[in-house]
Amino acid sequence: MNRFMEVLENILMPVADKLNNNRYLTALRNGFMVALPLIIFGSIFVVIANFPFLDQWLSEDAYATYKSILDPASASTLSIMGLFVIIGIGYKMVEQRGGEAIYGGVVAVAAFLILTPKVVEGVSGAIPTALLGAEGMFLGIFTAFFAAEIYQYFVKKNLTIKMPAGVPDAVSRSFSALIPITLTLTIFLAVRVIFSYTPFETVQNFIYTIIQEPLTALGSGLPATLIAVLLIQVFWFFGLHGQIIVNSVFDPIWYTLNDQNLAAYQAGTDLPNIVTKQFMDTFIVGIGGSGMTLAVIIGIFIIGKSRQLKELGKLGAPAGIFNVNEPVIFGLPIIMNPLVLIPWLVAPVVIALITYFSMATGIVPKPVGVIVPWTTPPFISGFLATGNSVAGGLLQLFNIGVVFLIWWPFLKIMDKQYYEKEKNAAA
Amino acid sequence: MKKILLACSSGMSTSLLVSKMEEEAKARGIDTKIWAVAQHQAPTAMEEADVLLIGPQMRFMKKKFAKTAEEVGIPLDVIDPVAYGRVDGKAVLDKALELIG
Repeated sequence: MNRFMEVLENILMPVADKLNNNRYLTALRNGFMVALPLIIFGSIFVVIANFPFLDQWLSEDAYATYKSILDPASASTLSIMGLFVIIGIGYKMVEQRGGEAIYGGVVAVAAFLILTPKVVEGVSGAIPTALLGAEGMFLGIFTAFFAAEIYQYFVKKNLTIKMPAGVPDAVSRSFSALIPITLTLTIFLAVRVIFSYTPFETVQNFIYTIIQEPLTALGSGLPATLIAVLLIQVFWFFGLHGQIIVNSVFDPIWYTLNDQNLAAYQAGTDLPNIVTKQFMDTFIVGIGGSGMTLAVIIGIFIIGKSRQLKELGKLGAPAGIFNVNEPVIFGLPIIMNPLVLIPWLVAPVVIALITYFSMATGIVPKPVGVIVPWTTPPFISGFLATGNSVAGGLLQLFNIGVVFLIWWPFLKIMDKQYYEKEKNAAA
Repeated sequence: MKKILLACSSGMSTSLLVSKMEEEAKARGIDTKIWAVAQHQAPTAMEEADVLLIGPQMRFMKKKFAKTAEEVGIPLDVIDPVAYGRVDGKAVLDKALELIG
């Protein structure tokens, strides 16, 4: 067993290292982080605009006015989050290389806009906001990567206008970006022209059809989701931060699915996706942290006799309510502990299935596309994520009960072992 | 003053340790500044620190952080998983002080 664990860890460590420290994935993760405050701002106002019972208390007109007053908050942030992610990625890509980061941000946005068709229902000169949100997400990410790389390449080539000594620093800096930006954006303009002669007509359409649609279709399905859930658990079992590692790859997909739901929610049509960012953050991680350990803490309070587990319960409970559970993972311990491997792997899969099917059958509403911070305690987060639905919160509580039942026999054995060890040590 | 920097994915779980370490340092009468940051903030924060301790779940960051740590000239290490699980402020403070030397 030990030998096997060692071999597996030797495989997982480099994977974690590669995924977490890859230049592009780092920029992607940090790019989303740049957009996050705006995303949360928009989410808050979606929640406020959709407070329960308002539609019954207010007259139809008053309710419509109320919504239209609040609408710009989310329409300008959450719904067009792709735009901010692009700026963030472009900025972070150039910053990593020690360049003038703000130019990375603007060159990425400009390149993206060059590739974006600027026609809305036959009217030219308009930017379709859908392309700045869910639909343009993948194009935006790739464009930001390429634009920043090409820009940085030209900067490195030293194709810059050198100013004589004595010219103020800011002046020469503004010139230093001139040639690289001009060349970079010219390339993107050429790409746009080339694509207009293909059956895809736009790069936007090409990336959407060839990459985004297949990937999001795959990512919204149950098999890929269960694989992601299991991978997170396996990484954590070896004490590696599974969330960070798996999210690096899945976040673009999950955020895109999220934004698709938001667009449908705002339009009042059926929500297309069950698996979204919030499916993962609220219903998988959001009940005590990775591995749903709030149920484990509750279990410790109910059946714990050993001092070790009781101490852990006291230590882990306050953080656990906010979904921070490193004390449980390292303290129970869960890492490298064959005894808990079964509940550790089985519980999240069972919960993912319960959540999926309860949403597929309509018992619980699907996530509406608001982003709820992952540190939001259970019940509240489920309520908010499902568009102010008590059913969302109740599903989380039900799931905590299920996790508890799965863990119960294993926790009992562990507690007994610890208890006897403590008794022997005392005797 | 001993300046001890902790880093993990978002600086959440290491911040649990911060308060325990501060308690311990106060009890011993040691003048310290202890704070926790997210991984992307660590490189800049390192410039103001005497030592960097990494949460064990982010131990794959050690190699990357080691480069910056060398430039800044501070020691770094991964926190012992057992001490991390117990949120053992005493053990981690000892480790930090030992690394600073």
